[in-house]
Amino acid sequence: MILNKVLYRSVTVFDLILVAIILVLAMIIGKVVSLYLRRFLKEKLERGHLEILVKIVSYAIAVIALLMILPILGVKLSGLLVAGGIAGLAIGFASQSVIGNLISGLFLMVERPIQIGNTVDIDGTVGIVEDIHIISTTLRTFDGPLVRLPNQKVFTANITSYAANVARRFEYVVGIRYSDDADKAIEIIKNLIKQHPLTLKNPAPMVFVDSLGDSSVNIIVRIWAPATEWFAVKTELLWKIKKALEQEGIEIPFPQRVVWFGDEKRAPQFKGPESTKDSSGDTP
Amino acid sequence: MFGHYNVPLSIAQEGISLSVQKDGKNLIYKRDCLGEQFEKHILAGKGKILLNPVEPVNRPKALTSYLLIEFEKALLSKPKETRTIFLRFPLEIGVYISTDTDFEILDIFTLTKQKFTLYGDPRNGVICKYWKSPVYSTIPSLSTLQEGLIDLAVTNTNSHWIELTKAVFNAYGMKLYYNNKTVSMKANINIKTKDTAETEFIDTPLQKGMKKSLEIYASRKISIVKPKFIMEFGL
Repeated sequence: MILNKVLYRSVTVFDLILVAIILVLAMIIGKVVSLYLRRFLKEKLERGHLEILVKIVSYAIAVIALLMILPILGVKLSGLLVAGGIAGLAIGFASQSVIGNLISGLFLMVERPIQIGNTVDIDGTVGIVEDIHIISTTLRTFDGPLVRLPNQKVFTANITSYAANVARRFEYVVGIRYSDDADKAIEIIKNLIKQHPLTLKNPAPMVFVDSLGDSSVNIIVRIWAPATEWFAVKTELLWKIKKALEQEGIEIPFPQRVVWFGDEKRAPQFKGPESTKDSSGDTP
Repeated sequence: MFGHYNVPLSIAQEGISLSVQKDGKNLIYKRDCLGEQFEKHILAGKGKILLNPVEPVNRPKALTSYLLIEFEKALLSKPKETRTIFLRFPLEIGVYISTDTDFEILDIFTLTKQKFTLYGDPRNGVICKYWKSPVYSTIPSLSTLQEGLIDLAVTNTNSHWIELTKAVFNAYGMKLYYNNKTVSMKANINIKTKDTAETEFIDTPLQKGMKKSLEIYASRKISIVKPKFIMEFGL
């Protein structure tokens, strides 16, 4: 009978079919378990934790399937202990970068410098972490494309995580005219910040005159907001500050320079457009 | 204002106007609260509306499940002693639509000003909804639609006098009760050390005859989240 036909050593056609069935079953079980885990734990676990749990369960099912398949194919598991070292050495040399990425991936999952859903900057690539695979990490940049980064690069790169803290501070520099009342401007800005629900009460915002610039008195505005909201608050508040200051007659000046002429007798020529006309274009 | 209503309905009170009216074979919900308008189509011909106070952490955005109440004046708690105080908390009103067996939240609105704060440091702390309240020794009178009352039992388990300036609560444990005059919650704060305390809610009405609110956080059935809150970043 064809099922009993020996293909090599003691492995028959039946064994191969059995292996195929185990593989298919393992894949189906893996998919179903992942689906149910995602469905039932979606609201109970953070997305990052859930993805790691799903991966661990999927890999565990794959390992169990492999351990079931190997004896059927005539591979003795005890022999793997000896062969494993030699094979590991050979694979290590042959695929250094893959193994490097794989080990980096494991470390990324354990150390968790980044998590799924975080906004991060990895060596200049800024985006939201879409997934952390065993070999690579994918980021979705703010203009849409997905960027795949090898885990080895992610692990050794400088990472700035914008979501590591629950709150984040942002800053404006608001320049007002020298003739304007800086105390009044500070009061207006403080009131606006106080009225905005998403600016944090604590840490308290800071509004103060920072420098006397070339063309303006520069007021620094430092505001804390929840890490998930800071960008929306930042973009919204600046325009409100500008409008509120203008409503109170405080203006943000253009850069300007006062020019003093050394020749006092010629100075009247440059008082206005009329006198400029008379000067026959003789400008300094 | 709180309670069950049949549709169509129309309510106008203290700057709030809301209605559920027939729109062909369906219903349309409209709400105006202090100039903020909201509309939703309901794909049903009939239903019941329930209005009741909900956990005050949903507006303007459900960023957190924590509520921090700062005391207008600090408290000094005697060692090994339990005393009851009353605090105000901001009210949020939930509008539910229901069939015979199921409730679904339709809208949440509030008449109070909203503010958030950080409890702890930016790395390990938590974002909280913020409210400042006077501390009362007896039940004060409040506007039912703006503020509720927390009956807070302060227990100092320490052997030293300890100053308390704030309390942080987790919305997952909140148990709200209401009647025509008051919305209330009962809670405990157990002071462990100079810098740590634990807050939790008790499922008991402040006065007899109060009705229990249908809470949003409780109805999510999240069992793995602890309803207690440990204040470990200072009192």
